Amino acid sequence: MTLSDAVKSQIEGTLEKSRVVLFMKGNKHFPQCGFSAQVVKILGDVGVAFDTVNVLQNAELRDGIKAYTDWPTIPQLYVDKKFVGGCDIVKELFASGELHALLGKEKAAPEKVAPPKIALSEGAKKALVAADDGSGDTLRLEINAEFQYDLYFGPKEQTDIETTADGVLVRMDAETAKRANGMSIDWVEAQGGAFKIDNPNEPPRVRALSVEELKAMMDKGEKLVLVDVRTSGERDLAKIQGAKHLETSEAEIAALDKDTVLVFQCHHGMRSRNAAELYLRKGFRKVWNLEGGIDAWSIKVDTNVPRY
Amino acid sequence: MSDHPTDFQGDILEAIRESVKKALPDAVVDVHGGNGHYTLAVTSQGFAGKGPVDSQRLVYGAIAHLMKGDRAPVHAVDSLKTKVPS
Repeated sequence: MTLSDAVKSQIEGTLEKSRVVLFMKGNKHFPQCGFSAQVVKILGDVGVAFDTVNVLQNAELRDGIKAYTDWPTIPQLYVDKKFVGGCDIVKELFASGELHALLGKEKAAPEKVAPPKIALSEGAKKALVAADDGSGDTLRLEINAEFQYDLYFGPKEQTDIETTADGVLVRMDAETAKRANGMSIDWVEAQGGAFKIDNPNEPPRVRALSVEELKAMMDKGEKLVLVDVRTSGERDLAKIQGAKHLETSEAEIAALDKDTVLVFQCHHGMRSRNAAELYLRKGFRKVWNLEGGIDAWSIKVDTNVPRY
Repeated sequence: MSDHPTDFQGDILEAIRESVKKALPDAVVDVHGGNGHYTLAVTSQGFAGKGPVDSQRLVYGAIAHLMKGDRAPVHAVDSLKTKVPS
């Protein structure tokens, strides 16, 4: 990390000009990193005017601000030329009301958020109970604005919302609670085990499915339609049992209920992703892309399917 | 989640824990994560009387060598919490 005099005076000039400055990735309308986005959202919620500096536009500044603050990560929030913190600290100060005080704003009365209903499958429950090391840490769920999930054991926070999911106590912040209502958490054994989350609050998007997960779903007899988007020539070389050929079944697939689970598959996973995006736009809500395509299937699941 | 290739050999979680304990010998370090992204909770007397910024600086300083460069084993610290033992 280096800090030239030019960059240093550029930073100081920025801090001189504005009371609240956020050094971030992207800008306040298009944050290009989840942590930056969270701080932008918090400053918006506090209701204070602030300037942003996009460090991605200037490599020297990106390194320089880290040296200037002696802080290794972006975003960085400055108020009255003083460094306040990165994403974690800003989140804490916001929750405790200290950020409002620092910025001279009243903190609105905390919004009452009802504990969400969360369903756990037997498998998920077993995995979670097994993961509890008895240290007294509590199971925590985090869902960020992009609907990325984190499930981990950590300390209890004062502002937590608590819910009991099929007998298991889960704690979370209010924002997560609002995004979690009605979700279910399942466990898939594939690849050493992973949680599978189904959340009705999530805006529809194409989700990635590994070949092992697909195999596990098929073995369990889960209802899904596997759609092969390759050419008929390629299908003559190799195919996955039960896959429908998009070219010949287009009308049939389009007529399916929009809640049907569709898994798109091609040779390596690129063409199928485009097809999956298209069906999402057509209104299907449960759309998956088979990562690695039939090639990964041949290598990892069924070696009887020839590679080409 | 994107892939974060690294040249680092060995147990990254252990390396993070060791590095923090070198700087804060009494620290209880809870670290988890993978694929370049890690979540840390550190409890130590070393944070007594320090604000959150200085407390986190202590931890970041201890693991700075693991965060250097594009192929660093630690690409991002998703969450860092510091606590004084109660």
